[in-house]
Order: sequence, then C-alpha cells, then structure tokens
Amino acid sequence: MMPPINWPVIYPELAICITAFIVLIVDLFLPGRHKWVLSLISIFGVLVALQIVFMNFGLKGDTKAFFGMVVSDATGLYFKTIFCIGTLLAIFVSITYQRREFPEVGEFYTLMLLSTFGMMIMASALDLITIFLGLEMMSIPLYVLAGIYRGRYRSREAALKYFLLGAFASGFLLYGIALIYGAFGTTNITRIVELIADGKPYSPFFVGVGSVLVLIGLAFKAGVVPFHMWIPDVYEGAPAPVTAFMSAGPKAAAIVAILRIFVITTPVIDLTWVFWVLAVVTMTWGNILAINQNNIKRMLAYSSIAHVGYLLVAITVGGEEGVSSAAFYLLVYTIMNIGAFAIVVLFAEREEFYENISDYAGFGSRFPFAAITMTIFMASLGGIPGTAGFVGKFMIFSGAINHGFYWLAVIGVLNSLVSIYYYLRVVVAMYMRQPQTRLVDIAISPSLMIAIIITLLLVIQIGIFPDNWLSLAKQAASLAF
Amino acid sequence: MEMIVKLIPVFPLFGFLIIGLTNKKMPKQVVNIIACGSVFLSFVAGTIAFFSLLGMPSNSRFITGFWFDWIIAGSFSSSVSFMFDPLAAVMVLVVSGVSFIIHVYSIGYMAHDGGYWRYFSFLNLFVFSMLLLVLADNVLLLFVGWEGVGLCSYLLIGFWFHKKSASDAGKKAFIVNRIGDFGFLLGIMLLFWTLGSTNIKEISHLAPEMLVAGGGLVTAITLLFLVGAVGKSAQIPLYVWLPDAMEGPTPVSALIHAATMVTAGVYMIARLSALYVLAPTSMAIVAIVGGFTALYAATIGLAQNDIKRVLAYSTISQIGYMFLACGVGAFSAGIFHLTTHAFFKALLFMGAGSVIHALSGEQDMRYMGGLKNRLPFTYKAFLIATLSISGIPLLAGFFSKDEILWKAYSSGHGHPLLWILGLITAILTAFYMFRLLYLTFHGKSNVTAEAEKHLHESPPVMLIPLYILAFLSIFGGYIGLPHALGGGAWFENFLMPVIAESAHVIETGSHHAPSLEYILMLASVVAVLLGIVVAYNFYIKNPEKPKQLAQRFAGCYRLIFNKYYIDEVYDYLIVKPLYILSLIFWKIFDVRVIDGFVNRLAKFFGSMSERFRILQTGFVRNYALVFFIGVIILVGYLCYIFR
Amino acid sequence: MSMLIFYILAIVAVVSALMVVTLRNVFHSALFLVLTLFSVAGIYVLLEAEFLAAVQVLIYVGAITILMIFAIMLTYQITSKSIRQVNEQVIPAVIIVLVFFVLSLVTLIKTSWPVSNKSLPGNNTFEIGRQLLSTYVIPFEVVSIVLLIALIGAIIISRQDGPSRPGQEDR
Repeated sequence: MMPPINWPVIYPELAICITAFIVLIVDLFLPGRHKWVLSLISIFGVLVALQIVFMNFGLKGDTKAFFGMVVSDATGLYFKTIFCIGTLLAIFVSITYQRREFPEVGEFYTLMLLSTFGMMIMASALDLITIFLGLEMMSIPLYVLAGIYRGRYRSREAALKYFLLGAFASGFLLYGIALIYGAFGTTNITRIVELIADGKPYSPFFVGVGSVLVLIGLAFKAGVVPFHMWIPDVYEGAPAPVTAFMSAGPKAAAIVAILRIFVITTPVIDLTWVFWVLAVVTMTWGNILAINQNNIKRMLAYSSIAHVGYLLVAITVGGEEGVSSAAFYLLVYTIMNIGAFAIVVLFAEREEFYENISDYAGFGSRFPFAAITMTIFMASLGGIPGTAGFVGKFMIFSGAINHGFYWLAVIGVLNSLVSIYYYLRVVVAMYMRQPQTRLVDIAISPSLMIAIIITLLLVIQIGIFPDNWLSLAKQAASLAF
Repeated sequence: MEMIVKLIPVFPLFGFLIIGLTNKKMPKQVVNIIACGSVFLSFVAGTIAFFSLLGMPSNSRFITGFWFDWIIAGSFSSSVSFMFDPLAAVMVLVVSGVSFIIHVYSIGYMAHDGGYWRYFSFLNLFVFSMLLLVLADNVLLLFVGWEGVGLCSYLLIGFWFHKKSASDAGKKAFIVNRIGDFGFLLGIMLLFWTLGSTNIKEISHLAPEMLVAGGGLVTAITLLFLVGAVGKSAQIPLYVWLPDAMEGPTPVSALIHAATMVTAGVYMIARLSALYVLAPTSMAIVAIVGGFTALYAATIGLAQNDIKRVLAYSTISQIGYMFLACGVGAFSAGIFHLTTHAFFKALLFMGAGSVIHALSGEQDMRYMGGLKNRLPFTYKAFLIATLSISGIPLLAGFFSKDEILWKAYSSGHGHPLLWILGLITAILTAFYMFRLLYLTFHGKSNVTAEAEKHLHESPPVMLIPLYILAFLSIFGGYIGLPHALGGGAWFENFLMPVIAESAHVIETGSHHAPSLEYILMLASVVAVLLGIVVAYNFYIKNPEKPKQLAQRFAGCYRLIFNKYYIDEVYDYLIVKPLYILSLIFWKIFDVRVIDGFVNRLAKFFGSMSERFRILQTGFVRNYALVFFIGVIILVGYLCYIFR
Repeated sequence: MSMLIFYILAIVAVVSALMVVTLRNVFHSALFLVLTLFSVAGIYVLLEAEFLAAVQVLIYVGAITILMIFAIMLTYQITSKSIRQVNEQVIPAVIIVLVFFVLSLVTLIKTSWPVSNKSLPGNNTFEIGRQLLSTYVIPFEVVSIVLLIALIGAIIISRQDGPSRPGQEDR
C-alpha cells in the first residue's frame, strides 16, 4: 500500500543534519582560537550534500519516500541546490566575521546548517505537516542567528521581533493547515490532489481560506507586502553575514513551499488576481521605500522585498514558464545578493562601522577591486544587461508578456527603473563622493574573497551564458506541473 | 587540429587578462614576454593549422573550432565557434604575424611610456578581437569581434588621453565607426530575417537558393553591410576618422592601418562574397566607392606635411584599391592586396615611427630632410616599402596592385573607367610616396637644433622588425604571381573554394587577348615611373617648384591641403545642426519636459518614500496589525468571491 | 449530556483565555492559562482522544505552565507588577480582530463539514504510536530536532560567557 522507506531521497538532508551535529560536538572540544575548524567541517558537509543533490537528479524509480511524506523531484532538487549554494557562500562570508565579532559562539555553524536542513525539508515535503515543521526548523535557528550578536541592542531587538512575528505568522499557517485537514481529512498533498481528482465533495471556500492562510504564513517568510514589516528591522539588526544568509535561502524555501501548495489550490480556486495585486504592491512598496534608506543593509532589505515582488510576477504568470523563471531568478538572486552582502561585510569594520551608504564615499579609489565588484552586483540587482540579474528579470517579464500580463510587465519594468536609482546611489557614493569619515584600513580575508570571487564569476557567467542554468530551471519547472 | 584552431585567439585574450589584471605589479620584461609571446603563439598555431589545411584536398579545406553554444533562443542560435578555411587562414597569418612584429617593435617604441602595461594589454585585446573577427563562423560573433576592434581602436587612439586631440580623435573614430556599425547591425538583422541563419557557411549555401539574384532584398542587405565596411575600412564618406587616428602611438597606427581594423571591412565583403555576387548593383557601388576613395585620398596625400598623415591618406587610398577589387568581383585580388599592403604599410608606419622616435616626436616633414645618412637602416627599409607601395615591378606591391588594375579592366563587373581611376591613383601614389621619401631623407636637413641633439638611430628591437617586414615587402608578392608572368596564381587558387568568384568574372576575363594584360601592366609601370620622376623633379631638382605651383594654383592647393574641407563640411552639415538640435532638445525638451517630468517623478517617489517610512515604526504591534490587515483583506476577498 | 459538557468546557476555555490576555497581573494570567489548557484537555476526552488529553495535561499544564510560573516567580519583582494590557492601537486592533472573527465564523458556517462515519479504533494510543513511527516518522524526527535546536538557541541567547567588550553595549 504505502511506498517503502526510500533512504536515498533524504540523503542530502541527512548529510546536512549530521554535519550540524558533528559541528556541535566538535565545538565542545575546540578551544576558542581553533573554531575555524568548524567552518571547514561545515563547508565540507554542505559540499557533500550538494554532491548528493546532484547525484539524486539521476535517481530512478519512485522518488517518494517515507510513506509519501517527502519526495525527491527535480523541483525539490533544484531548490536544494540553491540552498546549498547559498549556505556555502554564507559560510564563506561568515568565517572572518564570526571570528572577529563573536568568536566564542561555535554553534553559529550548527544553527546555519540546521536552518538549511529545514529549508531542504520544506523543498522535499509532500505533506503540510512536514512543510510546517521544515518551516519551523528553518526559522528557529534564524531567530537565534539574528540575535547572535548578543552585545548589540539592535541585534537582540531584531531577534525578538523576528521571533514574535514569526510565531504570529506560524499561527496562521497552522490554522490554514487545520482548515485544509478539516476539508479533506488528510494533510498529504498527493492524497489531497487525488481526492480532488476523484471528485470527492469538498467546500472550495473552506479549502480556499485554508490555503490562503497557509500561503500567508509562507508569504511572511518570503517578505511579501503586507507581511514584510519585519524584514527591514531584522535585516538591519542581524549581523551582516546572517542577513546575507537569511535573505537568500529562506525566501527560496518559502517560494518552493508556495509552489507545492499551488498544486492544491490550482484546481480549487483561481488566485491569479490575488498574486497580481500582491506582486504589484510588493515590488512597488519595496522599491519606493528603498529610495530613502541610508543604511545599506536596510536598503538591501527593501530591495529584497522588491525582488520578491518580481518573483511574485513570475508566480502570477504561473505555468511552466512562470515557475521556471521564478526558479531561475531565485538562483540568480541568491548569488548576487549574497555577493552584495559579502561586500557589505568586507566594508563593515568592527561592529558594522561602515554601514551607511555615505560611508562608502571614496571606496572606489581605495578598494578598486571591491568597488568594481560591488558595482557589478548593484548592476545585477538593478537588472542591467550583461549581468545575471538582467537575464533573470528578462525571463520573468518576457514570461509575463507571453501570457498576456502586459500591465504587470510594464509595472515591473518601471519598478526596475526606480530600483536602479538606489542601486546606483551606492556606486555614486563609492566613486564620486569624497570620504568624510575617518578612514580605517580594511583587512581582506581570504574566505570572504573566495565568496566574492565565486559570486562575481557566477553573476557574469550567468549573465552572458545563461543557457545551462536556464535549462536546469526549466527542468525544475516541468516536473512541478 | 580543432583544438589548435580554437586556441588561436585565446592566447592574446589571456595576455590581455594577465597584463590587464596584474598591471604595474609585473616587471616590464615579463610583460614583453607575455604580450609578444601570446601573439606569437597565435601565429604559430595559425601556421600549424595553415599547413594542415594545405594537406587537405583543395575543395574541403575547412576546420571548425567549436567552443560552446552562445545564445539559443527559439529558432535563433549562435555559437562561439570558429571556421578556419583558406580565407581565414590568410587573415590569421597576416593579422597575427604582422601584429607580432608590431608588438616587438612596440617594446622599443613604448619603452619609456608610463602607460606601458595598459598599452600592451589593449594591444593584446586588439589582436584578440581581430582574430575573433576573422575566425568567427557566424555573423554575430563576427560582429562581436568587429565591436571589440572598434573599442580597442578607441582605447588606443585615445591612449594619450590627457592630450585633448588624442581623446577627441579616439571619440571621432568610435562615433564614425558606430555609424557604420549601425548599418552592419541592420544588415545582420535583415539577413537573419530573410535566411533564418547567421552562420556564414549556411548563408553561403542558402543565399543563392533563397534570394533572387539582383533582387532588392539582397541588394539592401549587401548595401547595409557595405555601410559597416565603409565605416570600419575608412572609405568615402566615413573615412574622416582614420587620418585623426594617428594621434595614437605610431605602432598603434601601424596596427590599425596595416594588420587589423581597416582591413576588417574588406575581409567582411570577401567573407560574404556569396551575397555580394548576387547583387550586381551593390558590387558596382563597392567598386565605385573604392575607386573614388583611392583617387580622392591620394590627392589629399599630395599636400600633407605631417608624415603620418600622408601615410594615413595613403592607407585610405590603398584600401580603396581593395574595395575596387572586391567590387569588380576579384575578391582574392583584394585579399592579396590586403596581405601585401599589410607588409609594406606596417613597414612604412614603423619606419615613420622610427624617424619620429629619432627626432623626439617631430612629425612635420618640413622639419626633416637629409636623414638618409643619419638613419641609414631606417632609410633602407623605408625605401623598400616606398618602392613596394608605389608598384615598382617585382616587389610585392606591384603584383597585387597590378592584379587589381587588370581585374578592374577585364572582369565582367569591371570597366575601363575604373581602370583609369586606378591608374591615376597609381601615379599619385608614386608621387606622394616619393615626395615623402625625398622630404624626409633627402635634400638638406631642416631638423631643429633641439631635435638634432637627440638624433639617433633606433635600437635593434625596433630595426629588426623593420627588416622582417622589408623582406616580406619585397618577396611577399610571389605567392600570387599571375599567369601572365609565368606564375601559378597560387594565392587566387588557394582562396578560390571559399570566395564566390562569380562565374561571370572568370569567363569574361579570358576573352581579352593575353597581350592586353602586358600592355596594361606596362602602362601602370610607366605611370608609376612618371610619378616618381615628377616627384624627383619637384623635391630634389627644383625644391622651389612646389611652392611656386602651390601659389599659382593657390585655390586648388588650399582645397587639397585642407582635405577638401570635408571635415568642415561634415561639421557644418551634420555636426553643427545636430549640435544645435541637441541643444534645442537639451534646453527645451530635455530640461523642461523630460527632466521636469523625471524630476517631478523622482521627487514624487522620494516624498512617497519619505512619507511611507513613517509606517515602519519599529513597534512589533504595528507590524502585527499590518499583517492582520493583510490577512483580513485576503480572506475577505475570498469571502467575496465565494459569497 | 456530552453536548452540555462540551459547552461548559468551551466557555470555560474561552473565558479563561480572555482572562489570560486581559489580566494585569502576570501571575494570574499564568494561572488562567492552566485553566484554559485543562478545559481543552477535557474537550479531548470528550472526543475520545484520551492519550491526547493525557499528554495535554502532562506537558502543557504539568510542564510548560509550571515552568512559566517558576520563571515569573524567579524574575525580580514581576509577580506583583501590573502590566498595561492595551496600547494606542487598541481600537483598530479590536476592529480588525472582530472582522477576522466574523470572517472565520462565515467560513465555519458556510462549510459543509465532512462527517467521518468510521468508528474510532478501539486502541487509540496504540494507533497514534503506530502512525508516529510509520507514516509520520519524518515529522516525528524533525520535531525532535526542532526541539533540540530551540533548546540550543535558548541557551545561546541566554548564556553569559566572556566579558562583554567595552563600548559595544547598546550604541
């Protein structure tokens, strides 16, 4: 009756989880100055997981496992690839910062890895319960990570805010799951789809409210307006590497869960217009508020909201084209956003000294490589041709046009134009303003450099030769529908 | 062998990256090795590929070098892959060979320049772009190389950017080229639209089947491509950038004029000859543009005083010959002249560079003279080049030029008038080249006292390249020795499979009596000698005569001296009106309307941003409230649609 | 009969839940929370979910609430402090919550509830255990890790080690 336990499906999750506990245990025996070993173990673990993910692409036969609770399909694997890349880069970004700012907290990497574990669960989950648990698994370490900078008021405040609102959102998510369970008597997505297909009577209104509440819970994690309010405060308060980490993976995880929920909602209720409005509101709101931000992390927080808006455009478009462009955009966004944060971390001296955009004045001549790299990331976030961001936006907006969402595409492009203004502000500050604050020499750490160079190369490579990545994203989308 | 072809352009690219990225951290010796070595490796790779090409049967000489698919979008696909066929082989050898020599020469010439690293990295990028251009197997990739060459020319012409004239010249070159590029791009689009392919080989196969010979479509495509070629190869009316391009370092001029850049247009026409033979009108226009440019530029060359400027106009004139050849269907003759021209023009520029170097930067011929004994080695090399370009029999230039003149007369697309244009140009060429030679190296010295002090022969690193080129300028022509002189026209046969010589051309070519070819040849030799004799009369025997003549035909002289006022005409007809128009647009339309709108919009967004910021209070309860409002709106909407 | 008990339990649960959020004394709130949770356990019993009821009492009442009360009593001077329970956005909040309440009500009323005809398995606890270790083994394991990480996170946030560096506090 039920499919047998199918271990290889959860190998990537296992790899991450085991690594997390190895790190936790090794941490106990390591003196403070040797904590860097933990980062190496973590990197190794994530690489192993990534390798397994790649191997699982070729998994034959039934890809469902554990009585239909989890699945290892192309969609899930694609997103797991994103999580692994994001986590890997975030670890590289963190190493020096962690050693400098909170050297005693070796659990830092455990938290990061377990959060990744949660994201992976979300990507594999075929059951609403599992999705919820994955979400909590992802979020709880994030709450802690946001507040890990214990000495800092804003960091603690960020953690508390994130936690309270996160719990609030989880309540809605659970309520939604309860409603769906009430309608179908099961939480298993596959089963629900079967029931709908079999013509079992159910109340569409009930299911609709339930799935909308679930979507709200997920939209909170992704940062969709009006469920976005936590983002600026938390992004600003959390340590920069943590912000880098949570701006990428968790968003992707929320999006993949939304895609899974879609399987239920699509036959029940047409949410196109809901997403249409959410997309417009989200990108416009994010972009407008980003304009006046002086703190670079806050600016990037609002910009991340705007990017979620673009993703919602892709989700509104839906179908294979929409989903593949969303999947592709998430990959691109992960890379370029972590790259930008890597530069922020690089520039952020002790205790986030250089955190305002105006502090970047004169960096163009003082740190030519970092400045040009930042310029490229900003260009990519703004969607200037030749960069990965452009290809991503192009795919999304051309998808919107192909499916007749002309106004959505127009609003999206106008929003991109607005966004270029505040991205260029950073570039202008770096190259055209005279420094006013006292100048501190910035130590460049090799691990940070690795992250910057990898992201830079990927941004350019994807920007010029997107084909392989696009076909991967297409594959991810083709199996979801 | 595929690997070798693939690698040809890669070496200079790496050279560019390494030098460009390490910049001043690298010692100059290493830069020399990397810069010259990378181009030399390209040359070696090209040579190896060339010989393996020779080993193949003559109809299937073709090697592909596939790197990767570049863009695939629906029916449109373009890959980064190379085709190495006889035409590409010739171009690769010429480009990499001559560039290598110029690189070596630059070591000496640029030794004391502060921008040494920048210079060599750009030079390598230039070679890379040009190799990409000649090896590209599709028009789009060709265009990438085309643009790359344009960019590098901008960077190198404006190399001494602190000099206003240099940066202006760089901009001019870039902008004029852009006009041509625009035509080229339109041509590519039209071509893709009609044939559905950008691959050159496919185009050559498809064109005769899908396009009506002499039809409007193919004529439009070829004319658009011609616009591109005219821009890049500095033909009427887009030639104005080339004379200014000498603002760059002299080796750069040599590179632009001889091996790269300006030859790109000729190459492109030859490459797409399959299209051109289908459009007789375009062919005729190519020939006429070429013929007139040749004559026109030669007349301007008569009266210039700047040594490099004379050479610049001579280049325009010589490229005109090549266009003439292509226009009459003798594509291989055009490429042949391109090859020999690369040798002697590089030699001339580098010789001139040697003179300028010796005179501490003096470029005005009126302050030269009598350098024959002071710079003996340079003089000899320069003399060989002058003889070669003038078309003295048995030197390289003679064969190629004669081939063109003969084809201009005899080919199916040719016309005696075109031949006469070419002949007059030949006289003028001989005249102004010998004028240059006499003014610079003969007669009494007019060198300023200041320059006199530093006068010195150039170092071996500059002279050896000169002699390699001198050798090629003498013997390089024998690869294409025509039948009439007992040769096998090897060059033409080699290129034959690639280039679509219309059957027409070859047929009518044989109608003429063989004796006619000798007669024409004799005529051109006489013409050249005439030019030389007149020059000798003017500048050695009666040095006062030119001035008298200039006074007697003052108007005429001024006209020529001022280059027919073409720059001024362009300035008045195009630049000024555009400038005024842009002023109007700027002051009224842009500042008032657009800026006003944009500013107001920006202010609007800014103020909205400022206003909405207040909503971000920082209080969790407010956030939760907003969240809740969102929830009830969504759930309310659901209640509404399911009511 | 069971209907009557249900309504009593439900009213007790709702009223005491209201008390939890409106009382100004934290300690009293905690005590009312105990009452709420007990009522819910009672409802579980009514639904023949004895195991769930037992767990509810053991964990929520027995462990969590008691822990909260301990925490309140150990915290300096919080027991006797009265806390402001409303703030400036009480009116919009009430309106919005009421709207949501109405919407939920609409949802509940409009739905035709599927009624299960299957009788419950006689051995409830056994069935739950079986399900937890077969169908729900993945969520079960993940929950354990979630709890573990919550534990670790709480320790990280609260532990006080190392001298805090001067000048970094509360800029």
